[in-house]
Amino acid sequence: MKYIFAFISLLFSHCVTAAEQAEEIFAQLTPSLYQIKLIDKASGEKSSIGSGFQITSDGLIATNYHVISSYARHPSKYRMEYLDHQGNTNTLTLESVDVINDLALVKREVTEPMEFFVISSQTPHKGEKLYSLGNPHDLGMIVVPGTYNGLKKESFSDRIHFTGSINSGMSGGPVVNKQAKVVGINVATSGNQIGFLVPHDKLVTLFNSYQQSPPDSIKAQMASQLMTSQNKLMSALLNSNWESKSLGGKGAIPIIDVPFIRCWGESNADKQDALILTAVANCSLDENTYISSRFFTGSVEIEFRYMQAKELGSNKFYHLYRQQIARAGAGNRAGKDDVSEYQCHHDIVMPNNKAINNKSVFCTRAYKDFPDLYDVLYLGASIDKQQQALVSHFTISGVSQENSMAFTEKFLEAVSWK
Amino acid sequence: MEITSINPQQENHSSEELHHDIDDINHSHTDIIIEEISRGQKLLHRHKMSKPSINIGRGYGNDIILADPHICSEHLKIQLVNGFWQIQDQESINGTFLENPKEKKKPADKHILEDGDIISIGKSQLRIHFVDHPVAETVKFSPFESFINLMRHPIALLISVALFTLVSGTIFYLDKPIEVNFSQLLVPAIGMSLLFSLWPAGIALVSHLTKHDARVLTQLGICFAFFNLMWFSDLLENIVAFNSSSNSIFTVLIAILPIALAFCMLWLNCYIGFHMTAKRRMVVSIGITVLLFGGSYLIKYSNKPDFNARPQYNSVLMTPSFLLTPSASVDEFIEDSNRLFDKANKAAAKE
Repeated sequence: MKYIFAFISLLFSHCVTAAEQAEEIFAQLTPSLYQIKLIDKASGEKSSIGSGFQITSDGLIATNYHVISSYARHPSKYRMEYLDHQGNTNTLTLESVDVINDLALVKREVTEPMEFFVISSQTPHKGEKLYSLGNPHDLGMIVVPGTYNGLKKESFSDRIHFTGSINSGMSGGPVVNKQAKVVGINVATSGNQIGFLVPHDKLVTLFNSYQQSPPDSIKAQMASQLMTSQNKLMSALLNSNWESKSLGGKGAIPIIDVPFIRCWGESNADKQDALILTAVANCSLDENTYISSRFFTGSVEIEFRYMQAKELGSNKFYHLYRQQIARAGAGNRAGKDDVSEYQCHHDIVMPNNKAINNKSVFCTRAYKDFPDLYDVLYLGASIDKQQQALVSHFTISGVSQENSMAFTEKFLEAVSWK
Repeated sequence: MEITSINPQQENHSSEELHHDIDDINHSHTDIIIEEISRGQKLLHRHKMSKPSINIGRGYGNDIILADPHICSEHLKIQLVNGFWQIQDQESINGTFLENPKEKKKPADKHILEDGDIISIGKSQLRIHFVDHPVAETVKFSPFESFINLMRHPIALLISVALFTLVSGTIFYLDKPIEVNFSQLLVPAIGMSLLFSLWPAGIALVSHLTKHDARVLTQLGICFAFFNLMWFSDLLENIVAFNSSSNSIFTVLIAILPIALAFCMLWLNCYIGFHMTAKRRMVVSIGITVLLFGGSYLIKYSNKPDFNARPQYNSVLMTPSFLLTPSASVDEFIEDSNRLFDKANKAAAKE
């Protein structure tokens, strides 16, 4: 009994200290916390909300790019406003963005130097207690304690794995350590206490480059960031090891050996009545870049499909096979205002090793706002076996012509029969 | 033959000629052809009369008996007077009129008939011809006649229909992603054949209704022969689409084939089903072809979304035995694909 009592009291005291700390941090930082709102000019009502925090005395506020993306894409349609802890509201201007790391700098007018958040110079250690601040679902500013769990594994762009509830509306809010220094920015959640933060060093980089030279045009800044990012991603993909693996025992397919491309497999070997035995392997980049709610980019998807006819004439097999490849689609979401329609080319193509003969289709569409970036799609269907087929397919979004062609060439040469 | 002012010399001369004319007329115009025609100028009945006086009316004592209730029992008489046929209205209630497409119709009593005159009595019309009325040139048998005769032969027809049913059954079989048995294929295949036989049946019905020969078997034979040819053109189209790359012009050429086939079929439908001039037949068959293909193109075009996020590509696959072209190398494919980027840029800049 004594032990239980001791345990409970220990627990209680711990809770008290955590609560006290949170309370203290909240009280200390709340003047520099804002709710960021986009107001639709035509209707006069808010169309999206998020959180933000001041990082300089002269009114520079950091938030997520996705909070203000509508304004960045259509500045004439929206007005950007902040709401501070005292309920004051005023307009904001967009200063700089980092579309890859989902960060944005906006600015409010200040009459006198104000308090601001200090950005930490150190990364937290695993297990360290952190406090996430923000305004979830427009319910008011709150503080959520949680734990730092290192960087997200197998990820192309760095994200902090934060164990704590981050909800929509908290996006753009700061995450601070016990010293009230910013170590990350709320960005995403996958539910059940799993949250993701942008590491503070990304903000430092953005801030420094802004201090040196503010961007002339947000659109051009985004275009150059997308171009740089795809170059980095594609050179990682092209220069890594493409391991040849077997699919269905007959096909040889390349598996790109980089941690951020993850593969899954499936087959219908258990279905006795299926006319065609199918084995599918697909690999993809789990993350993508948010440009607007209807326009995503930076995705990579690769899919291989092995099919074998079971007691089926080759005519019928090919007829069904044809239906399988008829409806390939884009790997990313994009609309009429963002991209052109797809332009396609098809031919019968045999790689240099002569180990397969494919009907190959290549399609591409151009980005309207970001010159020299494209979405590409490739589909290869083997046509040299009567009863077996190997489909190789990929989509890459937001890629340059040069990179996409280099990838396509390497991909075509890497797929074959064993 | 009215001469208003003539000098004596001319009078002599012309009266001689007149006499000569009258002799001529006397000789040739003792026979008269009276045609009962419909309001659409279609021939209903034709009477050739060799009497100098012809009575027309509803009464049974007439030479030509008409059933029209608006006609009197003794309505009119046509008489040969001095070598001319003259109309005499028998004081009919509704009168006798001369139809003239250019002028208003006028009373026909005492009118001297000319070749081609149309007389209207009651609600009926009569057309007058003399024996020297020129007839249209003989229509030659078209070179298709032997083909038509072959196709209308019951055995040929049976083979055509069976082939059509077989092909549609095969297509149903190929399209089903699951195992199917014979009867599951037979029903839709026969249904398909019945559905497609509606067209020739419809044409036969129309030609029957328009007082032409129905010729059902011939229409069926021709249509099914062409339906089978269209399956074949479909197959050809697939083979071309499978073998050609985007750069090929063949795909465009082969797309014309079904249009040409449809035109030929419609032309033959008209040829078999209706008597019409070659020009009219051409116009009708081109018209229906344009309506058919233009209409389906329009429907497709109007359903086309403003923006299509899906790529539209050629996904035709056939078994390796249909592969006729050599393969391109990866380098060639990359080179061709590289050109797409310019096209995409242009498409993006368009709006």
